[in-house]
Amino acid sequence: MIEVRFPLLNESEPDAEGVLATWFVGDGEEVGEGQLLCEVQVEKTSEDVHAEGAGTIRLAVSEGEVVRQGEVIARIE
Amino acid sequence: MTTAERTRERRLTTARAMVEGIAQEMRRNEEVFVMGEDVGAYGGIFGTTTGLLDEFGPERVMDTPISETGFIGAGIGAAIEGMRPIVELMFVDFFGVCMDQIYNHMAKIHYESGGNVRVPMVLMTSVGGGYSDGAQHSQCLWATFAHLPGMKIVVPSNPRDAKGLMISAIRDDNPVVYMTHKGIMGLAWMAKNARSVGPVPEEEYEVPIGKASVAREGTDATVVTLSLSVHHALDVAERLSGEGIELEVLDLRSLVPLDREAILESVGKTGRVLVVDEDYRSFGLSGEIAATIVEEDPAMLKAPLARVAVPDVPIPYARPLERAVLPTPERIEEAARGLVGA
Repeated sequence: MIEVRFPLLNESEPDAEGVLATWFVGDGEEVGEGQLLCEVQVEKTSEDVHAEGAGTIRLAVSEGEVVRQGEVIARIE
Repeated sequence: MTTAERTRERRLTTARAMVEGIAQEMRRNEEVFVMGEDVGAYGGIFGTTTGLLDEFGPERVMDTPISETGFIGAGIGAAIEGMRPIVELMFVDFFGVCMDQIYNHMAKIHYESGGNVRVPMVLMTSVGGGYSDGAQHSQCLWATFAHLPGMKIVVPSNPRDAKGLMISAIRDDNPVVYMTHKGIMGLAWMAKNARSVGPVPEEEYEVPIGKASVAREGTDATVVTLSLSVHHALDVAERLSGEGIELEVLDLRSLVPLDREAILESVGKTGRVLVVDEDYRSFGLSGEIAATIVEEDPAMLKAPLARVAVPDVPIPYARPLERAVLPTPERIEEAARGLVGA
């Protein structure tokens, strides 16, 4: 099982919150290693998150939700 | 859909799909370049050019001053000399300042030269309202451009078509006006339409210019529409299907050339037509579609044609008023029910 975490975009404020901007996969779908999962944003910086491994993805956070950096946003089983 | 197929399906927002189409053409053909306001480091205020500067550098992704007449004219000159520029007019609403370049030069040089000079360029522009940006930043105006001969006009509604139409537009030897609605781009800072993220094949492909797409088959009435309104129409169609009413949704995808055959075929099947158009109601697309049908055979229609369009009033800033003038699912549903007598 792989935990997908909200990346650290604001290093000077590790506890900063961001938003899950766009999911590119749906809950329960099969994803391949390296596949684009989502776009996240902290302030005006955005970053793409890719799958570190293959499997079934379970979304832990909805699109548009506010998330703290480092929090689990999805799991790949 | 099998597991393997699901794994292979890759989704992008419309904005990213457009960028991918541009990037693939820029890799394939060194004559392709992009210019416009905030297309470089900023990546386009609606995400239309994000990441291109990093890959291709400032000589092929050129930020310009706020001087639309100047840079659109420069694009025309480059196209005449054999390049393939993609020039962005940030908001279609700003067309007035540069319309001489667009209409008297870009659209006419081929004709006025007796066919000897080609102007292969894409004029890319963002259209549409729905996010309280006021009367000067919320128009569609595609009928204005479609009215004027010498330009092809394409209007994608979804990510897959956005990439395919962009590639077709770049490869076309005619000037193509590529109009994309902000409401379908899938931008993080805007309320997202659910279908603004969708499957996009990774390889290069063309969506043919001048060919409409049946977004949903139905038997009771045809909704002829384009852009964001395709999604509203699909939502309404799904709702009415629960009541036994089956709407066909025809996504025009191109306005010039207009796929009149597809319109006539669909209306010939259902006998009823609703045009949904996020442009001003009078002197526009819906009237053209009505004429296309009645010039062919008025007896095709079982009920008078209906339309949902923006009334002839500037787009209001206030959210409730803006919502009152734009084609919304509620207005579309009411009109569709009226057509089928439900």
